[in-house]
Amino acid sequence: MTGKNKLHPLVELQMDRSWQDELQQRLGKNGPWDEWVLYKLAIEAQHARKIDSFDELQSLRVLPALEPMPHQISTARKVLDGMGGRAILADEVGLGKTIEAGLVLKEYMVRGLVKKALILVPASLVLQWVRELNQKFGISAVAQKKAHTWHYDVVVASMDTAKREPHRELLLGTDYDMLIIDEAHKLKNKKTTNYQFVTQLRKKYCLLLTATPVQNELEELYNLITLLKPGQLGGQSDFAANFVIDKRQPKNEGDLQDALSGVMIRNRRGDGGIHFTKRIVRNIPLQLSTEEKALYDAVTNFVKQRYDESGGDLTSMLSLVTLQREVCSSRDAVFITLVNMFKKTAEDSPVRAKIWELVEYIKQIQANTKAEAALQLIREMDEKVIVFTEYRATQEYLLQYFRSHGLTAVPYRGGMNRGKKDWMMDLFRGKTQVLIATEAGGEGINLQFCHHMINFDLPWNPMRVEQRIGRVHRLGQTEDVRIYNLCTLGTIEEHIVNLLHEKINLFELVIGELDEILERFEKQEQSLEKQIAKAMLESSGNRELSSRFQQLGHSLSHVREEQRYEPNQRTDQAFKPLLDSVSQPVEVKP
Amino acid sequence: MNAKQIHRFVQHYLESTDCRIIEKSPAHFKVKLSPLADRILTNRPYYWGFVDRTGAEPETMSFLFVTDKEKYDQSVEEQTAKDGPDQTDAALARSFGYVHATTAGARMPREDLYYGSKRLEQLFEAARSGGSYVCLFQEPDTKKSHPMESTAYTPWLGLNMRVEFQCDRKREEIHSFGVSLATGQCVEQFQDRLSGLRMTPRLPPNVHIARSSVTLHKAAGMIEQTLEKKLRTYDYGWAEEAAQRLEEEQQLIAHYYDAMLASAEEEAKTHIQTQFENRKAEIDWQYKPRVLASAINCGIFHLAGID
Repeated sequence: MTGKNKLHPLVELQMDRSWQDELQQRLGKNGPWDEWVLYKLAIEAQHARKIDSFDELQSLRVLPALEPMPHQISTARKVLDGMGGRAILADEVGLGKTIEAGLVLKEYMVRGLVKKALILVPASLVLQWVRELNQKFGISAVAQKKAHTWHYDVVVASMDTAKREPHRELLLGTDYDMLIIDEAHKLKNKKTTNYQFVTQLRKKYCLLLTATPVQNELEELYNLITLLKPGQLGGQSDFAANFVIDKRQPKNEGDLQDALSGVMIRNRRGDGGIHFTKRIVRNIPLQLSTEEKALYDAVTNFVKQRYDESGGDLTSMLSLVTLQREVCSSRDAVFITLVNMFKKTAEDSPVRAKIWELVEYIKQIQANTKAEAALQLIREMDEKVIVFTEYRATQEYLLQYFRSHGLTAVPYRGGMNRGKKDWMMDLFRGKTQVLIATEAGGEGINLQFCHHMINFDLPWNPMRVEQRIGRVHRLGQTEDVRIYNLCTLGTIEEHIVNLLHEKINLFELVIGELDEILERFEKQEQSLEKQIAKAMLESSGNRELSSRFQQLGHSLSHVREEQRYEPNQRTDQAFKPLLDSVSQPVEVKP
Repeated sequence: MNAKQIHRFVQHYLESTDCRIIEKSPAHFKVKLSPLADRILTNRPYYWGFVDRTGAEPETMSFLFVTDKEKYDQSVEEQTAKDGPDQTDAALARSFGYVHATTAGARMPREDLYYGSKRLEQLFEAARSGGSYVCLFQEPDTKKSHPMESTAYTPWLGLNMRVEFQCDRKREEIHSFGVSLATGQCVEQFQDRLSGLRMTPRLPPNVHIARSSVTLHKAAGMIEQTLEKKLRTYDYGWAEEAAQRLEEEQQLIAHYYDAMLASAEEEAKTHIQTQFENRKAEIDWQYKPRVLASAINCGIFHLAGID
């Protein structure tokens, strides 16, 4: 029951009268009646929650634990006060676009202007978004898993899922108070299904997040803005006529800047830039013992034989590749994989005997050269240190090995539940000197209080190495970070360390740079990880392996050079003046 | 809402739901919930379903509610310093199974209640849904009243309202009205007048109620008129700005879609037209200025005196 009257030529008053019936009914039945104390508390609660002004940020009031940086707050304000809640957030990498989006979302939710929100992100970021929204912003966001998840108020999903039936139809039939899209540069092409899908979604407020709103041609920028607010830059032909000389050269820049600054906010690092501390890398070359070397060679031969027998089929080689990687880590890791492999092999297969032979090699090994080296290192540094390994079995072994030498360490694994993870972190923050981690992902681990890390073994995927380093080398780290790579000579590991260290210069890159290098590299060829696996499986001997790695290193160096010296291809160069003109420099200090 | 107000709010809530406060300071409560509060606050429908079906004696949960984190942590720290350092690292203790002296017995999870925390939000919600409709009588001043005389009471309709001023942004006001059902007089800030009074749900002795001459419906109408008259005097600059933004955006998209429609092929036109309509609706949804008034809670209050 509502009534409507005009308060002003432009403003209608809507009166909700449902309370009248309810009260009348209770009077008729003489109850039930609520308590006087609660009646008073109810009005007190309402007073506490009242939104007094149009523009004072409420979200900061309700999030006392969150301390956003000044540019993040001013960005949120601008979106709320000046842009009506539709904006492109185009900060450079690492300045906290997620925080800005979270602030805007929270503000609208506190004000009761947003109830239903949809957040579309790349699949790999779904859980991270869910965690951040819950932990930092107290927003009960849910990761989309099943069809019924869509009914929750705040849902985080991958674009690929959302645009597919049956989800697509359901989403297009829903009114979203707010839509947030992360990595929105993937929407730069008008003809893609992603673009069409987002255009059709019904939304009130909308945030598009991207560090690179324009990469190759101005039209991308036009498309992105048109997605957000059709007509903001006129029709396609208006835009071309008014603002474009050629693909990469704008004209009437003043007008273009005005138009852009109405819909886009970009913060970039000031000349001071982010003041990260240094990364100091030390490779520790180790000579395997005779027994270990024997196992390594035996496994290498075994792997290669299986590969040759399969006729060069890469897809089924996963466990073999794993074996080859594990043998650089610990015999325990190898053993577990061998056992599993044994179980899966047919009883009458000759391979079974070969697996047993390998186990015999394992039995011969008395000591772990790497573990000894790690223990010695840890004792020498006498400070907090994280040891990263890829393998659970190695982790268990190290825990036990360290303990038997009077050194307490705590484990950290992706599979642990939240409570246990926090507890392990507590212990590490407290008295324990060593944390042994198998997982580098997950925003949960911020380890600024520690500045030593040992790569007990190295992932073949450089991003995973970067993630490991990022746990320690981040905002808030006040010391130089020391990275130790344990590297067994004469094994594939030696090549990997060389590739990551010398060729990509991974350990000294600026944050965000690695992404770009890999993206370019993998655009031309397969993923680096796959290429390493292929090189390893296909090489007939050490010499061939070396030359394959040299080739890889060569093309990586090439990509790096290209990226550095071909400014035309890079976003920041061709469009830098334009983007800079609509952006604010911010000084970010750790 | 500052720490002190939160503290008072929590105390009132716990008391009104018959919870047992085991220990308290100006910064915290240790409390064993009443069955009523446990049902509302702990989200354990299966447990309560079990209790209801089997008639088992319910075991309610206990909480440590901290209303002033800083003060509480400080006092705990001082206490520990006085008692000598804790021998067991709390986390280690958990792993080895030591029981911390102060938490022996029932498990007592700690909840920090600050403005914006989920638990406080839940208490707000509990108060709102548990305090919506009342029918009350003012407690007579026993000293003054003559045992043989009857005091006249007037029935009032009391209504607390939330008024939301909304476009793409929003602010709120709370208004409190009272209408005498005897005389039809309408007053504002009615809740302030009530808050000092002691109330009882039962008709006190030696009291007679004046006859109602105004129906509930009519009283509600009077409140609406009063509110409307008041709201008409407000400044609507915010609404004019919003309407202007709305108009500008509508023009931009009209220009965009009209051009598109003009050059589109016949079969594409319906699709473009739909997009156009959708976008128009989105802009209205986003910017359209409006004012919404709804009840927070309401009730019939019998107050001493005729007015």
